[in-house]
Amino acid sequence: MWSWDFAISILPQLLQAMVVTIEATIVGFIVATVLGLFWTICRRSSIKPLKFAVVAIVEFVRSTPLLVQLYFIFFVFPTFGITLSPFSAGVLGLGLHYSTYLTEVFRTGIDSIPKGQWEASTALNLSKIKVWTHVIMPQAIPPIIPMLGNYFIVMFKETPLLSAISIVEMVQAAQIIGSNSFRYVEAFTDVGVIFLLLSYPASLLFQYTERRIQHRFDLSVKASKIEEDHYATNK
Amino acid sequence: MDANMAIFNGLLKGLGVTLQVLIYSVLLALVLSFIIGFMSLSKWRIPRWSATLFIEVFRGTSLLVQLFWLYFSLPILGIRLPAMLVGVLGLGLNYGAYGAVVVRTSIRAVPKGQTEASIALNMSPYRRMRSVILPQAFLIMLPTFSNLTIELLKGTSLISLVTLADLTFQALALRSATMETTQIFIYLLIIYFIIAYPITLGFRWLEKKQSVGRG
Amino acid sequence: MPRTSDASLLNQEPYVKYRNIGMKFGDTEVMKGINFDILSGEKVAMIGPSGSGKTTLARMLMTLEKPTEGTIEIGGKLLWHRRANGKLVDANLKHLRQVRGQIGMVFQQYNLFPHMTILRNVMEAQVHVLGLTKKEAEDRARKILKKVGLEHKCDAYPAQLSGGQQQRVAMARAVVMKPKIMLFDEVTSALDPELVGEVLEVIREIAEEDEMAMLLITHEMAFARDIADRVVFMADGQIIEQGPPEQIFNYPQHQRTKNFLSRFSTEFH
Repeated sequence: MWSWDFAISILPQLLQAMVVTIEATIVGFIVATVLGLFWTICRRSSIKPLKFAVVAIVEFVRSTPLLVQLYFIFFVFPTFGITLSPFSAGVLGLGLHYSTYLTEVFRTGIDSIPKGQWEASTALNLSKIKVWTHVIMPQAIPPIIPMLGNYFIVMFKETPLLSAISIVEMVQAAQIIGSNSFRYVEAFTDVGVIFLLLSYPASLLFQYTERRIQHRFDLSVKASKIEEDHYATNK
Repeated sequence: MDANMAIFNGLLKGLGVTLQVLIYSVLLALVLSFIIGFMSLSKWRIPRWSATLFIEVFRGTSLLVQLFWLYFSLPILGIRLPAMLVGVLGLGLNYGAYGAVVVRTSIRAVPKGQTEASIALNMSPYRRMRSVILPQAFLIMLPTFSNLTIELLKGTSLISLVTLADLTFQALALRSATMETTQIFIYLLIIYFIIAYPITLGFRWLEKKQSVGRG
Repeated sequence: MPRTSDASLLNQEPYVKYRNIGMKFGDTEVMKGINFDILSGEKVAMIGPSGSGKTTLARMLMTLEKPTEGTIEIGGKLLWHRRANGKLVDANLKHLRQVRGQIGMVFQQYNLFPHMTILRNVMEAQVHVLGLTKKEAEDRARKILKKVGLEHKCDAYPAQLSGGQQQRVAMARAVVMKPKIMLFDEVTSALDPELVGEVLEVIREIAEEDEMAMLLITHEMAFARDIADRVVFMADGQIIEQGPPEQIFNYPQHQRTKNFLSRFSTEFH
């Protein structure tokens, strides 16, 4: 049934594909950040039609499947003369899809800045660009780093969808191994374990930073736990 | 015009499968969310650890990997499941893990004073959960559950990769038959949006209804 | 109203007995060797700087915080423990629920149930803890809400009420359970100054009409002096001194008490 030898022998092949997975995640994340910031700026714009259009685009992209969007970019764009390599199409789709999530994150960060900061900037007569680069962004970014990190992990776990447009990332590699050897169990188990080994520690790290950031210590937590203790130990 | 109708009819065939998988897996995910969520709040180690294991494995290993694992590996291990069941199981387990975290955090998010007031009124732990904590936690869960349901709907498109004839699968089939790529995929995106939007509205309505009178 | 001068002078078995109570959070000892009694029907006011352990003492009685040392007895029964084969063991939930039925508490932050109407807030525990029918519970709830002057708010939700009104509902909710002792934990501290009066008025009414004992933790010195049979001054997890209000407020024995009270001096001269 399960062969350790085989499971280990295919690791080099899978780890090679993992490089593609990670590349796609990183490039996709950069695309998502840039587009996400762009949506955020547009939504703060005073031009009503632009604002409305961006809200609609964001809502639509977020409500429809990434897989279909990947097909759309890969199959439909060429009919308009835009032919992209599978990798470019993949990271564009991944980036576009998650930019609609990141724009919410950026908005949260910017909204959390007290009004007084804007007023103080006006009082100091700072230029608009200075206000953003020196006052707003330095305060808005640190609190949202854990959230950005979480989306990085989410995107990492979504990369298997790129196999549908023929990118040989880990899942595609596993499928190739499986169809050649008919040992699907080892191939997909390996891939699952690799995903878990990479994403779990990363999510722990971001949870930790999140807790560090919203560091609040509450003694009363301890007190109300007593009741639970009693319930649990004596039921 | 004829081509349009043909495309539309072809896609509608997949709609039934998508909706069926959506409904079954939402139900499975919901049940799992509460079971695993409560387990993860338990005072005993074994249920708590099993809940953590379940949550981390199903959140950590990517939905498509899980679907492929169920689809390709189980038959080799001697378990043959209908494709529909594989889809529902894969989606339900995956989103059940996410839902369990939502249940856990929402219950924990109910202010401590509520628990203390219930103890001061001498309520039993069951009564406290039922009358005081859960109704408040439920309201906290709703927006995230709304998002998760949309995520699950989008996730159903992945079952096309394990040969279930859902919307996305039909679109690919139509594409190779008609080559009307642009129309097919535009229709497809719009259909998904038309399913998603009422779900969002429905949750918003529920949230409004539930939050009557609360500041 | 009879005024007991000092609990120990009366030949009456105390209703609540704290014995050798200690409390540790981690390694820090916040309370040690406290002995403290409350008689049946006695109104005790507890004063002292914040962080002195007053609230912890009340929360221990409400079974919200477990003392790390010592025992508490109420009505002749151990609260946090029970005796098994002559040894003290931790009480189970069943025991706790039996004993704490005699205790009620009103919190600084009201802690009303935000998803229930005012009427249901007062009914819920009557139905599910006391086992009354809905009809009985509603009648009693309406009666007590009338007493605190809120019968017209029965169908409102807590968020629609002022802080003072919410705190009056919280008192109605606790009193309707007919506890033998009521704990008031700084119930006016979270209120705007102009709302304090209406809440104190309700406490005064309860104190005058009801037989129940009261432990009133408060910073309202004039009020404490007015309604209490006995005043207890706590600081740094210790009971520094206690006695009738006249004695504590007019002739405090300890320097710490004098210092503390001097901050409120304008109220007494």
